[in-house]
Amino acid sequence: MLRFVVRRLLSTIPMVLIVVSLTWGLIRLAPGSFYTNEKALPPAIEQNLRAKYGLDKPWYVQYERMIANTVRLDFGTSLKYEGQSVNAILWRAFPVSAMVGLLAYSLLLLVGITSGLFAAVRHNSKWDYASMTLSMLGISIPTFVLGPILVLSFSLGLYWFPPARWDGFATRSAVLPVLTLSVIYMAYIARLTRSGMLEVLRSDYIRTARAKGLSEPAIVLKHAFRGGIIPVVSLTGPALAGLITGTVVVERIFVLPGLGTYFINANLNRDEPLILGIVAFISITILVCNLLVDIAYAYIDPRIRY
Amino acid sequence: MKSALIVVAGIAAGLALQGCISSSADSGYFGKTDPPPGQVFRYISGPEVQSLDPPVGTGQNEGRVYMALYEGLVIYDPKTMGAYPGIAEKWDINADFTEFTFHLRKTARFSNGDPITAEDFVWSLRRGLDPKFAAEYAYIAYPILNAEGYNSGGSFVRDKVTGQFELEPATHTRRFVTSDAKPEPGKEFVPIRAEDVGVQAVDPATVRYTMTQPSPYFLGMMAHQFFVVVHRKTIEKYGNANWVLPKNIVTSGPFHLTQWVPYDRIVALKDPMYWDAANVRLEEIRFYPAEDSTTMMNLYKAGAVDALPNHCVPLPWNDFIRPLKDYMDAPEEGNFYLQINITRAPMNDIRVRKAFSLSLNREAMAKFRRIAKPLSAFIPNGIYPGYPAVNGDSFDPKRAKQLLAEAGYGDASGNFDPSKFPIDKVEFTFNTVDPWRQVAELLQSQWKQNLGITVSLKGMETRTFFTSRNKLEYQGLSRSGWFGDYMDPYTFLSLFQTPTGNNGTGWWEKSYVDKLDDANRTRDPAERFRKLAVAEQQLLESGAVIPVWVTSTDWMKKPYAKGMYPNPGSMYAWKFVYIEHDPAKWNDPAPEAKP
Repeated sequence: MLRFVVRRLLSTIPMVLIVVSLTWGLIRLAPGSFYTNEKALPPAIEQNLRAKYGLDKPWYVQYERMIANTVRLDFGTSLKYEGQSVNAILWRAFPVSAMVGLLAYSLLLLVGITSGLFAAVRHNSKWDYASMTLSMLGISIPTFVLGPILVLSFSLGLYWFPPARWDGFATRSAVLPVLTLSVIYMAYIARLTRSGMLEVLRSDYIRTARAKGLSEPAIVLKHAFRGGIIPVVSLTGPALAGLITGTVVVERIFVLPGLGTYFINANLNRDEPLILGIVAFISITILVCNLLVDIAYAYIDPRIRY
Repeated sequence: MKSALIVVAGIAAGLALQGCISSSADSGYFGKTDPPPGQVFRYISGPEVQSLDPPVGTGQNEGRVYMALYEGLVIYDPKTMGAYPGIAEKWDINADFTEFTFHLRKTARFSNGDPITAEDFVWSLRRGLDPKFAAEYAYIAYPILNAEGYNSGGSFVRDKVTGQFELEPATHTRRFVTSDAKPEPGKEFVPIRAEDVGVQAVDPATVRYTMTQPSPYFLGMMAHQFFVVVHRKTIEKYGNANWVLPKNIVTSGPFHLTQWVPYDRIVALKDPMYWDAANVRLEEIRFYPAEDSTTMMNLYKAGAVDALPNHCVPLPWNDFIRPLKDYMDAPEEGNFYLQINITRAPMNDIRVRKAFSLSLNREAMAKFRRIAKPLSAFIPNGIYPGYPAVNGDSFDPKRAKQLLAEAGYGDASGNFDPSKFPIDKVEFTFNTVDPWRQVAELLQSQWKQNLGITVSLKGMETRTFFTSRNKLEYQGLSRSGWFGDYMDPYTFLSLFQTPTGNNGTGWWEKSYVDKLDDANRTRDPAERFRKLAVAEQQLLESGAVIPVWVTSTDWMKKPYAKGMYPNPGSMYAWKFVYIEHDPAKWNDPAPEAKP
């Protein structure tokens, strides 16, 4: 197990380097620069800016510097936000995204798994149909529709929650973004839990358990649950990574100062160091989350060994 | 189950509608109108600021924040956007507009109590022009003597024998060359230093700016953020990156910074050190960055903010918002026009360019945009008092077709034949940002309807688009628009003074530049405007640009937000703004400010 973990962690290094190199190349393919604007700059000023940020050096010098920065995990300073270091931006933006993401994650696991479990146990009942219809709805409504509907109803109709902006973790401002963010995954998880459980509940070892006279809660929670939850676990890893590293749509609708907001603007601004910093950060998070999922498999399912 | 869903949807829709209609229809205002307690003003400041260092931020979104934190010799007049006394209490301008002398207030202080002197202004300008500092907007100061030479790392040319500097024949100022040039035999290069820039502290309370050539517009320009005063000791102590942090910063404006959380908020408190603190009524300003216009409208409606930035009302909302009492609609110093790449066929033929202009029904287009009025001239009409009315092309599709037939796209009987027009060589390029997609479709339908030509549309990501336009990589026509940097027609006309830069047309005439220079040498303002208008006429006759409309301001403020006016550039002097808690006084004019 330990060898597996170490090997996986080591393999993230070349992966991240490949990802940032590709990104670096793509940024260069995009026309325009961080100073390109409706009001064009005289060539002398463009030259001053390029010299200031070392963009007048040959590409291999710039590439080398970028790789060296990535290896040291220091991405330099933002081009657009004068004087702000990329690392400082990451450490400021990540906690916001992570807080919203973790809240959404807990909510979606709690509601998604419970309703999925319930639907499976009460298969073909009213409960089953109700929760599955709702989850179908949840999957089909995109966040950019759900967010505004929630705002319209609860912020502008009832004035219960602020329509946007972030006041912190345990405030009313967290309710709508967390809800918007969690619904779509919640629905997926409910459906996955239900189908996973249904499959396991029909398997031989559950029949054996029933024949032995075990109580129904013990069968469902102790024996069936661990097997039925495996498909859910494989989804929750990438979901966690996606949720805590910020989602562009939700952060934009609710004006959250998170990673997603920075990421979209960094791209629109051609802010190379910031783009690379965020890309590297997100890649590392995804790789680590996937590793956590793989470790979780081994604990949940005794058949899986590394 | 189905019925339950319908009920839920019905409740949501009902709430939404109720929220939308009731509050606005009853009061005539959009959403809540309860003033916040005290004198704390909350403003959506648009995109996140690039920096809090004034010569760094180039946009109006930064400019509005800087107007709270910093002050220059003059500030924007809250109603007209003209020059209004700031740290200078008065000024003198010499006869040919080449020397501007400002007399500073003796009471002007930085937020740490240090007096503001002429030396501080000299240092602030030299810093902004330093090529190593690389300020994007440094070119706004180029009218100042040797500012361009210093900022572009240039050198003077000196004769080795006589020690005489070479002069520019037109202006009799020292000629400069850029850094990559090589000296001719017998000549040597003398690098231009910061001290060569035309700014001088005559005495601690007097600062003088010298221009390369007559620049009557310079005074209006001085309110721009590039010219505000910054605190030398703080910047030298903490460096360019860190002096703007709340714990280090020293400012010169009516408010000082207490909190800055990027993408979240900038909080500034009234500064007791400010020379006019007795007349500043707000205790605190909070700038909230936001970019999504629907979100801004939501925050405004829920009463979470007191005013919104310009052009924040989404196009489909306009009919609903427009009649409300808190909607700010006033003439604006901005236009929408098309640039034509005149270097490629068939647009190299002036008849074809004119035909595209004559076939636009500007009335109909402005009506569609709602916040616009038709514009056939290049300069927004009615913004500059005394500027003569210039008329461009009117709507005349018949004449347009005739011109196209004359250009060689006619049939045997001399009528225009659309099938002969090389439509694959003309497209309309724009950036796919709201509302340009709709505007592009509207233009397309105009040409289809009036000429029978289907111009293809090419939407591009914003920065990709600007690059393509300014490098003349597009074919046919492209979207363009300009918001003035200062209150003078020259801010528009100077776009075509150089063959590159903001001029993405390929059109450039020496005679046009001469006309502008001649106008700027004219002392009498009316005569100067008349001469500028002649230059404008020449630009319009070239057919390199097709003006379409002039925009109006398009934002909202709560009825209790007083002292904030819809001026032509949407820049607000925060020192005059206050919150009126008594609803009975909401419709009264704010007391007149005295300089």
